[in-house]
Amino acid sequence: MTDIIDKAAMALSGGLMLLGIVGLGIVEILAGPPYGAAPVTNDAGEIVATPMVDPTLRTGLVLAGLVVLGLYAAYKLATPVEEADTAKGAETMAD
Amino acid sequence: MSYQATNPLADEFELALDGPLTAYWLAFLRVVTGWWFFHAGVTKLIEDGLAFSYGPAYMQQMTGTALGPIPVWMGNNLAWLIAPGVPLFETLIGLALMVGALTRLAAFGGVIFMVLFWVGNAGFGHGLVNGDLMGLLLFATMMVVGAGRYYGLDAIVEKLAFVERHPKLRYILG
Repeated sequence: MTDIIDKAAMALSGGLMLLGIVGLGIVEILAGPPYGAAPVTNDAGEIVATPMVDPTLRTGLVLAGLVVLGLYAAYKLATPVEEADTAKGAETMAD
Repeated sequence: MSYQATNPLADEFELALDGPLTAYWLAFLRVVTGWWFFHAGVTKLIEDGLAFSYGPAYMQQMTGTALGPIPVWMGNNLAWLIAPGVPLFETLIGLALMVGALTRLAAFGGVIFMVLFWVGNAGFGHGLVNGDLMGLLLFATMMVVGAGRYYGLDAIVEKLAFVERHPKLRYILG
């Protein structure tokens, strides 16, 4: 059960954040200028082009991913720590 | 690598390929760092092609920095390399990091870029530790931990017989 929640938390949080940052970032590039998340302005400061994807949505997705991680952390704090299983440990070389 | 039989959380957070949270987070950081550079590079390619003239101009104004005359000399004499190199290498570094191939070599390139940005931008209004330095440290971290081994292609490449025969290749993989 815990293993499923671990994987679900990692997949959902990572998925939300990567969707906001990378996924919709690709959409933004493919949609043409502006390629970033800020509107294009002319010399007079007037907005001449706005991002296709609202930055509020993209930042919201990233924040949602962080909230999932926060909820996961709260869950881990609320559930008892599993007994140490010495058989699970393994000495691991870095390289 | 640490091994703590008495700490039941050690396995979960341990910096090993089977440390699930660590592997997940390093892979996530690697992809986001890669996207950062890929986006910077590919949008320059779209807008300016291989003629990113701002690159040499940026370096020519880097006077009085800790890097001495090097950036100015590069801006004056290596414009032929910098103008196409900035968008091209940013794109390639980003791609390599996102897929986790040649991760350490790519991250080293990122460190070079970020050193120039950190020193050149000199955005030290809130201290030396700023976003540019954090970006630099992110690339350095990718190298230190060999982040390409976590859900990246380097995990596969490093198992190839050719790499097994030439283990020093791991210094540019990982």
